[in-house]
Amino acid sequence: MTARQNAGETRETAVRQDSDIAIVATAQLPAVRRQELTETEMLLMVVDEALDKVGLKRSDIGFSCQGSCDYISGGTFSFVPNLDAMGAWPPIHESHVEMDGAWAMYEAWVRLKHGDIDIAVAMGSGKSSTGDPAAMYPLELDPYYLAPLGLDPVSLAALQARQLIESGKTTERELAEIAARSRRDAAGNPNQQVRGAEQDVDKLLAEGYLRNPLRKSDLPPISDGACAVVLVRGPRAAELTERPAWITGLDHRSEVHNPALRDLTDSASTRIAGQRAGGVAGVEVAELMAPFTAQEVILRQSLGLAEDVVINPSGGALTGNPLMATGLVRIAAAADQILINGRSRTLGHATSGPALQQNLVCVLEGDTGAEGDPAAKGDNR
Amino acid sequence: MTVSTQTVSTIQFPYKRTLGPVMGRFFSELTARRIVGIRSGERVIVPPMEYDPETGNELAHDFVEVGPAGTVRSWTWVAEPIESHPLDRPFAFVLVRLDGADTDLVHVLDAGSEDAVHTGMRVAPRWRDEPVGRIDDIVCFVPGEHADSPEGEPGEAQDVTTMEYFSKITYTDVLSPTLVRYANNLRAGRLTGQRCPQCNRVFLGRGYCSVDAILLGPELDEVLPDRGVVSNYTIITPTPYPGQKETEPFARASVVLEGDEMVIAQQQILDIPVSEIRVGMRVRAEWMPDAERDAAEITSKGWGTVAGFIKGWRHTGEPDEPAEQYMNRVF
Amino acid sequence: MTHERVAVVGIGQTKHKKRRDDLSIAGLVREAAQRALDDARMTWSDIDAVVIGKAPDIFEGVMKPELYLSDALGGAGKPVFRVHTAGSVGGSTAIVASHLISSRVHKRVLAVAWEKQSEGNAQFGLGGGKSGSIGAGGAFAPWIRAYIQKSGAPEHIGWQVAVKDRQNALRNQYAHLQLKDISIDKVRESPMMWDPLHFLESCPSSDGAGAIVLTDEAGGDAAAADGRAPAWILGTSMRSEPSSFNGRDPIRPQAGIDCAWDVYRQAGITDPRRQIDVAELYVPFSWYEPMWLEGHDIAPVGEGWKMVDRGETAFDGDFPVNPSGGVLSSNPIGASGMLRFLEAALQVRGAAGEHQVDGAKVALAQAYGAAAQYFAMWAVGADKP
Repeated sequence: MTARQNAGETRETAVRQDSDIAIVATAQLPAVRRQELTETEMLLMVVDEALDKVGLKRSDIGFSCQGSCDYISGGTFSFVPNLDAMGAWPPIHESHVEMDGAWAMYEAWVRLKHGDIDIAVAMGSGKSSTGDPAAMYPLELDPYYLAPLGLDPVSLAALQARQLIESGKTTERELAEIAARSRRDAAGNPNQQVRGAEQDVDKLLAEGYLRNPLRKSDLPPISDGACAVVLVRGPRAAELTERPAWITGLDHRSEVHNPALRDLTDSASTRIAGQRAGGVAGVEVAELMAPFTAQEVILRQSLGLAEDVVINPSGGALTGNPLMATGLVRIAAAADQILINGRSRTLGHATSGPALQQNLVCVLEGDTGAEGDPAAKGDNR
Repeated sequence: MTVSTQTVSTIQFPYKRTLGPVMGRFFSELTARRIVGIRSGERVIVPPMEYDPETGNELAHDFVEVGPAGTVRSWTWVAEPIESHPLDRPFAFVLVRLDGADTDLVHVLDAGSEDAVHTGMRVAPRWRDEPVGRIDDIVCFVPGEHADSPEGEPGEAQDVTTMEYFSKITYTDVLSPTLVRYANNLRAGRLTGQRCPQCNRVFLGRGYCSVDAILLGPELDEVLPDRGVVSNYTIITPTPYPGQKETEPFARASVVLEGDEMVIAQQQILDIPVSEIRVGMRVRAEWMPDAERDAAEITSKGWGTVAGFIKGWRHTGEPDEPAEQYMNRVF
Repeated sequence: MTHERVAVVGIGQTKHKKRRDDLSIAGLVREAAQRALDDARMTWSDIDAVVIGKAPDIFEGVMKPELYLSDALGGAGKPVFRVHTAGSVGGSTAIVASHLISSRVHKRVLAVAWEKQSEGNAQFGLGGGKSGSIGAGGAFAPWIRAYIQKSGAPEHIGWQVAVKDRQNALRNQYAHLQLKDISIDKVRESPMMWDPLHFLESCPSSDGAGAIVLTDEAGGDAAAADGRAPAWILGTSMRSEPSSFNGRDPIRPQAGIDCAWDVYRQAGITDPRRQIDVAELYVPFSWYEPMWLEGHDIAPVGEGWKMVDRGETAFDGDFPVNPSGGVLSSNPIGASGMLRFLEAALQVRGAAGEHQVDGAKVALAQAYGAAAQYFAMWAVGADKP
């Protein structure tokens, strides 16, 4: 079944309500291996850029929320200086989550639903380059049974990938194809870090394992970066931009922590979040936060995405992975498909925790034109 | 000579965890070379949990001995172990379904080579010689049906209630262009900041205006006086903790630079007893000798420090300024 | 659009102690959460979403511990959310949880905040892992000195607050410090830790957790009909300002004033001194009681210490502050704000037991963090707004 058929013939453009919330602008810094700017400077720049796109000032913002992580930033209370990126004087209404910026956006979305504020900004930032993720990530695991084993994220992803392969749900070739496709797409996206890398599937398969059954091409790079999105409530969204990316569904779910207690070939939390966010019918483009190739397969299957849904045209987390921003970058990329490329229905996904423990799904829609056709069709990026 | 643009620091700490009754039981049993799981409905969960992970419901303390042998359900090969890995030679991370268990256990397998590992293979634990009551009392699993045990019978199970976890992470922090310029100026004995064109405030060592949220470039650099007034202070009685070197009460003062535009917090006042430090005291910077100036304390986090360049501040001998106007200039 | 009304229908906390050596981290948060569920007559499956708050992860050496705690709090298949706004986090956790209901995204939300300080060392954590950490006391001591000098407050005010809160703690079975022989003399003679702060004017280091169950209006009505009075949320607010810039007043931060008035406005409070019956303020060092009385316009500037001096903030005073014993008696850092928020709710529910303030109908709770720059506050009432 294709996405179009899935959508059914009867789906009509919804009438936007005052209570609807849209993404009207996004901005990100290119993911790079080592960013010399401070996190505060990075955030300052992406907020500037996002606001400039729709002619807003910081004083127009009613609420802001940041997502970052002390351990990744390498300091206690590392988010406190980042407050300065908002120009918090006179004092502002804001919050911070020790989660990916996608969850900061969730808090901003919840806040806007109250109706007393029209404009919010959500941000995510991280500098993975400062510490060794392999040494650091065991710290997010069960502190008694798992952390002392030093189970690093690449090894964990390999345990997951093997079960996926051995269950018959994917093949090493399919994983290599995902890597190749992601690299091809990244080549055209200046925000991605892995550009110009090998894209020939047979050559990728000829490379040795880094963690059997995963090769280097199945892994994300270590990246620094930041992202910001501007959320606007009600008719104001349409005043600020021609084609707002309306958030028609947003949900996140967690599941059992210990990966050994889960079916690693499935993502139950993604499935629930996807359903609660309104389902995938009619979704044309999905930006899935799959830092490992096999996770893209799991996410696609769990969401039930049709074969013709374009996956990660941005190049995805496989080619740029600024942790604590990566998830928000996916949502921003899905929103840009509507804001810039004229798509009608897109999906952004973020994940957190070991082996896809926690997942967030955001479904976005653009208004169709008078003839019922999207205003424009851009390229895949 | 210019400063290094990156600093390397290691944060390490020996955390001491209390285990509670369920994990305490599991780790206690390990010291007697027994592995137990806990019954949760129809399932036996290994290692045992205090609650049903699916529902959060408290589990009765119905422990079941499992293993010690089991079957590999997934694996990956680590050809080049790092410091945080449990083995220092090539090994496999594995998911093991112990006999009698309904869930998998994450652990490591010492199999010699990658070729020797496959899903479905039978493995058994290699026990630590002197058990401590931690997950790595099982040093690793080894191929085969039989546990690899030290000579002699295991002793009685110890009563394990705590667990140490040594955390060590090394960070490499790259300085932003603003901070590199700032640090190079400090090396040359100049304290510099940038003046915000919008609010006219001066900011030190951060490269942006904290009020207006605008980037401040090198064209806005100003040399600031290395003289000022103690605006406030505290005397700290140090408490011991791992890594703490201070043992005697020490003072930390805030200094408002002349011109009243910038505060430098957490400074040392030199050459006078801590009890004689007072608000309003006029001071000047005592710079470190050229050869000892070091940018290791300059980091991309926070709001600029002079540590590594200014040793402290010395009383100028001039009459004090009135305390009142300075008191709340601390940070 | 009007918001959904939000009620606190379940409250739970641990016995706070220097070291809860009988519990794991999961066991600690579950002790509080289970008590809140029991109080709400709910089970894990009744909860739609979980919000978790705590202070820096380095305190326990567990990164993003909400991941590990997800199933300990019945979070499998549910939204689990982690808030971190420095010391105000316990308060903002409650507020973010309430927003999930007032926005009508969820109907029943569990909010849990915790810290197990004994696993690590807060001085180490606050010093970024380096020697010579000044700790929170060293950071706040200069501002306290400034307050004392500017206000002309006599030095016994700090001692008096230290004694009052510890005496209140004797009424609270959950409070960490139970100093039966506390006295002005003992506080004065205790070692000077961060001049001008004495040891006994400072908060302890605690293991502990606090939890609340929040529901929509129907849930609050149902609890009331069942004879279990809910606490109705009358207003919530969060405000932040930068740590450091020329012109900032860290003694009476503008963010604290703005935050308070935002709550007062929502709650219809025009004269906080008269209209609020009891307040739980984040007072980790004794002098912060008069400082926040002024910082939230409960007392005129320069007059906060006089309220203390006249005994008005004492348990039997006409504006009791921290009947629970406050942060000065229990300080599981990440939970300390939550304890303020849940104590305010306990008070207006009339469920505070020995530390119940007679006739408390409107209660204010506050938490602050970092360089006294993050504020979270709520007002709760016995009567539905």
